[in-house]
Amino acid sequence: MGTGALMALGTRAMFANYAALQATSNNIANANTEGYSRQQVDLQTAGGQFTGAGFFGKGVDVATVMRSHNEFLTREAVGTRSTAAADKALSEQLQQLEKVFTTGEGGIGYAVGRVFNAFADVATKPQDTSARQVVLSRTNELAARFRTASEQVTSLQAGVTQDLKASVNAVNGLARQIASLNQQIASVQGFGHTPNDLLDQRDTALGKLSELMQVSTVGADDGTVSVFIGGGQKLVLGSIATEMSTVKDRFDPSKLQIGIRDAGIDRELPTSLLTGGSIAGLVRFQNNDLIDARNQLGQLAQAVAAQLNGQQALGLDLTQKAGGPLLSLAAPRVLPASNNTGGATVAVTINNATQARASDYELSRDSAGAYSLRRLSDNHTFGTPELPALTPALLASGVQVDGLTIRVTSAAQPAVGDRFLLQPVAVAGRDLKLALDDPRGIAAASPISASVSLDNQGTVGIDGLSVLTPISAPATAVQFRFAVDATTQATTYTYSTDGGATFSATPLPLSANQPITWPVGSATPEWSLALRGTPANGDRLTVGPTPVPSSNNGNANALLSLRDVRMVGAEVNNQTGAVAFEASSFSDAYSNILSTFGVRVQTAKSLASNSAVVAEQAKSLASNTSGVNLDEEAARLIQFQQSYQAAAKMLQVAQSVFDTLLATAGG
Amino acid sequence: MRVSTANTYDIGITLLQRRQSELSEAQAQLTSGKRVQRASDDPVGAARAERALAGASRVVADQRTAQSSETIMVQTESTLGDAGELMQQAREAVIAAGNATYGAAERAGLAEKLKQIRDQLFKVANRSDGAGTYLFGGQGSTQPPLVDSRPNASVPTEQTGVRFVGSRGNSQTEAGSNLPLALDGAAVWTSARTGNGVFETRATGTNGGAWIDAGVVTNPTAITGNTYSVVYNSATSQFDISNTSTVPATALPAQNYVSGQAIEFDGMSLTITGKPLNGETFNVLPSTSTLNVFGVLDKAVSDLGTPKSGSALAQVIGDNLRNIDSAMGKLQAARSMAGEAMARIESEVGQLATQKLNYDTDRANAEDLDMVEAISRFDSKQTGYDAALKSYSMVQRMSLFQYLNV
Repeated sequence: MGTGALMALGTRAMFANYAALQATSNNIANANTEGYSRQQVDLQTAGGQFTGAGFFGKGVDVATVMRSHNEFLTREAVGTRSTAAADKALSEQLQQLEKVFTTGEGGIGYAVGRVFNAFADVATKPQDTSARQVVLSRTNELAARFRTASEQVTSLQAGVTQDLKASVNAVNGLARQIASLNQQIASVQGFGHTPNDLLDQRDTALGKLSELMQVSTVGADDGTVSVFIGGGQKLVLGSIATEMSTVKDRFDPSKLQIGIRDAGIDRELPTSLLTGGSIAGLVRFQNNDLIDARNQLGQLAQAVAAQLNGQQALGLDLTQKAGGPLLSLAAPRVLPASNNTGGATVAVTINNATQARASDYELSRDSAGAYSLRRLSDNHTFGTPELPALTPALLASGVQVDGLTIRVTSAAQPAVGDRFLLQPVAVAGRDLKLALDDPRGIAAASPISASVSLDNQGTVGIDGLSVLTPISAPATAVQFRFAVDATTQATTYTYSTDGGATFSATPLPLSANQPITWPVGSATPEWSLALRGTPANGDRLTVGPTPVPSSNNGNANALLSLRDVRMVGAEVNNQTGAVAFEASSFSDAYSNILSTFGVRVQTAKSLASNSAVVAEQAKSLASNTSGVNLDEEAARLIQFQQSYQAAAKMLQVAQSVFDTLLATAGG
Repeated sequence: MRVSTANTYDIGITLLQRRQSELSEAQAQLTSGKRVQRASDDPVGAARAERALAGASRVVADQRTAQSSETIMVQTESTLGDAGELMQQAREAVIAAGNATYGAAERAGLAEKLKQIRDQLFKVANRSDGAGTYLFGGQGSTQPPLVDSRPNASVPTEQTGVRFVGSRGNSQTEAGSNLPLALDGAAVWTSARTGNGVFETRATGTNGGAWIDAGVVTNPTAITGNTYSVVYNSATSQFDISNTSTVPATALPAQNYVSGQAIEFDGMSLTITGKPLNGETFNVLPSTSTLNVFGVLDKAVSDLGTPKSGSALAQVIGDNLRNIDSAMGKLQAARSMAGEAMARIESEVGQLATQKLNYDTDRANAEDLDMVEAISRFDSKQTGYDAALKSYSMVQRMSLFQYLNV
């Protein structure tokens, strides 16, 4: 056995330990590199050499450099990161949205209350212009608050659009990067060694990608990884990346949906396929929360404006004309889908703002004979018997649903497959403006007033006179005469429209707390009179045009009473027309909006913080396996340094052995 | 378990940031004094606070309304007090006019005084609250609600005098509280009951020997509400009584006449005094709510201004006193109505104050911060943050490299 073996052993050991030192140094160098997996040199014995005395080891070999990596933990970290990113995006956006619904004195609810309460001063001093001016400036402020809130919603939408565009660009960049890494990895696959750094880079890219969009991966034999988004849609197949794109919403071009470019055509991805990643959070926020916010705001604006304007119309202003509208607001909006072919136009009008829901609707023609109408807030499709079957004839004459009338206004019928998005209230808050700038225009006076006869013997008095439908001037003066039956004490009344000369023939019964309406027995009476006390036989009461409207406060009181009127969000049974769910007063309605969005934000926040913790833990687990520990590397540094020194000593020994041999042989 | 150094740093930083943001949140709460800064802090509490705020701001509006109503009712009440005093003076003047030693000149002087009283009373009745609301403007009046009306031959003087030109009825605040904002001038000034409130006795112009009093009701159930004429028949020394509401008139049993003794029929009792002439006629009419306070004074002025004596004088003094008493009664009733309204307003104001307090308390409970609890929580968070910083700096300082002197 020659001394060469010893020399070879030493050289090999030095080389191996140097390699190990190199790997350790690389670990230390990359301790803070994102996505870097700790590498270590795989050492193995160089095999034995058979001799008569058995096998002698030939030293150490560097088999390969491995990265410390756990496929399962990495995948877990990527998946949880995806969920966390979606939750975080949604929570951040919702927190922005929450600012639209301010609580307390800065909020819309408070401003609505201030408008109604301002009528208290008009009611005490109808002729006082300053009290009227206060109403106008508070109404103006209310309109401004609604507009500001709508603008905030619009700018949130714009922000989402920007974010989506940027995110989709980032997805495309990452997809291309992964495709190119796949190619590189495949090309070095044949060398028999794992391309650790390329794999790390690809894992990092996948992690970043899944933060934007949840993906699933399938590995191939050639080392490439194919990436799929929800529903098996390929994003990266080997070294080919598919392009993602943003597609303008088919109804509302200010909204973006996510699409995929297939053979040069952008195809919209169903939202349900986007399950995780910040893009999913943004899309969900855009398609649910922003729409809800806009509709809830619009519903409140619509109801408040309708009540104020409606009550204004029932009174007389200082110029003794019926009051004009106090607020103006945008008409309901109908958005045809961009791919409609029929050329039909559809219109929505609000019949009853109290019954209008905070929802959009979709009208579509599914087949030649079938139309369908869907309420989007609860995804309710209207069918028979709730509504009569939707035929072209019915749609032309107008179909009544949820306080709305939906009508096809054009002669052209929608083509099969045509769709329309109906937004009854969504834009109501956007253009809310004060429509009255003259304080004299506030209709504080009631066109009619009631008084009891001075000759009355009973205690009957006026509890309240409410005008129900606009009264065309001059109002009919009606005199009522009560009769009390001497034996049964039953009260009846007759009426006269000629100043008490002739009375109606048939006495009408009058029970306690029963209001008198006019015209008597009409289904849509002009006014209703509530009485208090009890009339004596022969007592009279007159309801007639108000003699001095300029200082009458009848309608101002009615405007003030709007603060208690249940005006927002009644739900009707569309089949029977009965109210299935009572409306709420404005303050209850606004409190409900506050708590609805409050709960959403709260839920989103806690989801986001939970999923962040889960993602953090998963990341810790993964990085604890693959990350660099500097103490460990320090120890390894010492270990391999010492081994290297020992190997060097082997060479020294080999040389000295050789020298000894030379000296012996030469001597 | 092995740990990754970079990850340890990352986690350390994340945790520190989290604690810091909690600390700043607690600090923001302490600064604003509000536990609920946004609806998401406590959705239910935020909704409750919102409702309480709406309630409180409506109470504030109601309080102002109640104050306005109170201001007007206080003025109305004192105005009606002034009116009552003036009427009392008028009454004294009329009583003085009945003094048998007075001559026509003195009575004319008293009539002059009554004229002054009427003028004053007119100003009182058209008083405004100083801010454009007439106290007796009813449901609205832009001008003084009472105007002098022209004498009308078909209506007795005491039933005309002034006319109400505003909107009839009481002006009120919003249904629910129904506090008065102005009284109905027509009801206060032009609708006292004529006669004694049930019927009115009226001497006819042809009389000269006897006079009739206001009469009293002896049997309310027997009152018919019809018109009667009572005619003296000197041949029988009896009064012939007939119900002229029926066609033809129904004769009632004639009654013997003794001066000062009551004549009774159909639940009414009348006393005629003096020496009636043959055919002397007294009418009995049902009472109506048409007695005009100013007409009453106008009649007194005209009656006292015309020289009269004997039974005619006794008749006018009696009639005018009866009218003044009825008018005063009506003013008194209106005054007590104003007083009652003030009491109602006071209780309303008290209730509103309680409601306001309740709403404010409710709002505070829903969204305000419990300071003691908040400070202690803040302290514990601070301690936590401090400990985290210390331990972080200590742990991260340790590294094997420090012990290696390579």
